[in-house]
Amino acid sequence: MSDHLIEFKEIAASNQWGAILPEIALGVLALTLLVLEIFLPKNRHVLIPRVAIIGQLVVLVWFLAFFRAGGGYIGQETFGGMLFHDGVGQVMRVFFLVSSLLVCHLATISLAGKQVPKVEFFHIALVVTAALMLLAQSNHFVLFFISLETVTVGFFVLVCYLRYQAIALEAGLKYLVLAALSSAVMLFGIALLYGIAGNPLLEGSSSDSMNFGALNAFLKNHPESNIAIIGMILVIAGVAFKIAAFPFQIWVPDVYQGASTPVTAFLAVASKAAGFAVLLTLVLKVFQPMETILVPLLSLLAILTILYGNIAALTQRNTKRLMGLSGIAHAGYLLVGVIASLYVPWAMGAVVFYLVTYLLGSFAVFGVMAHLSPEDGTGDELEDYLDLAKNRPFLGGVLVVGLGSLAGIPPLAGFIGKLLIFIAAFQAGLYWLLAVSVFGVVLSIYYYFGWIKAAVFQYWQVSPEEAARSREWPEISSISRLILGTLAAATVVLGFFQGPLSDWLGRL
Amino acid sequence: MNIGIHEFLATSALLFTFGFVGVLVRRNVLVVYMCLELMLNAVTLALVGFSRFNGTMDGNVFVFFIITVAAAEVAVGLAIVVELFRRRGTVMLPALNHLKH
Repeated sequence: MSDHLIEFKEIAASNQWGAILPEIALGVLALTLLVLEIFLPKNRHVLIPRVAIIGQLVVLVWFLAFFRAGGGYIGQETFGGMLFHDGVGQVMRVFFLVSSLLVCHLATISLAGKQVPKVEFFHIALVVTAALMLLAQSNHFVLFFISLETVTVGFFVLVCYLRYQAIALEAGLKYLVLAALSSAVMLFGIALLYGIAGNPLLEGSSSDSMNFGALNAFLKNHPESNIAIIGMILVIAGVAFKIAAFPFQIWVPDVYQGASTPVTAFLAVASKAAGFAVLLTLVLKVFQPMETILVPLLSLLAILTILYGNIAALTQRNTKRLMGLSGIAHAGYLLVGVIASLYVPWAMGAVVFYLVTYLLGSFAVFGVMAHLSPEDGTGDELEDYLDLAKNRPFLGGVLVVGLGSLAGIPPLAGFIGKLLIFIAAFQAGLYWLLAVSVFGVVLSIYYYFGWIKAAVFQYWQVSPEEAARSREWPEISSISRLILGTLAAATVVLGFFQGPLSDWLGRL
Repeated sequence: MNIGIHEFLATSALLFTFGFVGVLVRRNVLVVYMCLELMLNAVTLALVGFSRFNGTMDGNVFVFFIITVAAAEVAVGLAIVVELFRRRGTVMLPALNHLKH
């Protein structure tokens, strides 16, 4: 057999389809939804979102029961080095499945009664989730780029899903232009890295130079190469767009405000978490030899991000923009964790733990928001939350727990998440970053409590004519009660007892 | 004249800069799209140049993926622009400021 054939045989043998069964399952489910739309009679179409949610629940339960160890592929490269399965990847898979489930549930609330096709929303959400899961495990720039773009193009459609609203289209257009700009910048970085690491005249070059391992081996030999440094900066800039770090955060407030609530939640949680999963991989496994440039760069990003996010959020009265701006601040704290993970290995677990607490807190808040703003673009102001706790004590309670956790009030989960990151930063000797982060947390308490105050302590000043047209409060279905209650309860419990989750993360 | 990797890279960097500046300063959405495409094509040129110089096919193959993704992006993007034009009657960026600041 010729050499080429042998090589081909080896690559074919590394196509372990069993390793990506969860992603395949999601893809099949997504296509099933479209088929059901064709074959089910019109009056049965309400069943399709339920099929999507139940299908994802089945995948999630199956994953947790039988696939938690990555189906036995942990520590292996599959598909010719395209994918690498590690512990973080498995946690992120569960993370994305859970967030997609919650997004689908929010979508059933917020799309109800709107004149838009419903099935496609769930289809795209599932495809995006599958791509996110692959992204978190990618080990090669080609797969990295393809899955990143699948996510991004999916989000273009989701952001302007309510296309009869001009503000949704405007948000979608802004997201599209800036996302395409950032992916072009990142691609140029990838091209430079590919070119320099594949240069046959340089020592340590590789014929497969877009593979993360091969690139890392090359950078170990040439950490001072100018082209490689420019390439690294451009790639980090592309990822910084995803996590909305300063100065790539300009899209956040507008897009969050224009998109419908479930999509905002999806962007805020899953897209940001994917950015961090990718950043962890890139920083720890690829660019680690260039620490001397990487650490000051990321530190500067982190400081500016924390300050910008918190200061811009201080005067914000629109809740969606507030979530976006405070989300920028959270990205800053997470960046501190990523930097710390270069020095303290367990900081990686702290970053993932923070992401989990951020998921629980954010979805609790977004869940309440989805109930309160039936028409998107209305009901988003802080004034709309007056009297919430008096009229809907359940929603008020969930909101307080969610916001308290995001603000980092002990004993809620968000406090433990911040504490772990700060301890890691202290152990890594990042005192300046620590000081800025603590300052940021203090600022954040101001605006989070402004929101809590509006919902709980402030009362609507009733004038007689306004009392006559008192606003309607939404009804909460029992399934929503169950889900929001679980999120709030998990936030409280995780604050006291980290047990199995920290065991799982400790083994990363 | 012998065309080597430096000429490829210089052209690519120049195109990329044109595209980047264009995205930042132009006001018409369609022109902004064209500038984005220019940036992607600059990357494509760099990849092809490196691929030839390094003697590996990875860069050439990657180019096909980039073209595919760019097509998907523009398909969605133009749909948004058409829909937006129907609602607002304009495709100029300064007019798209209805989301409050």
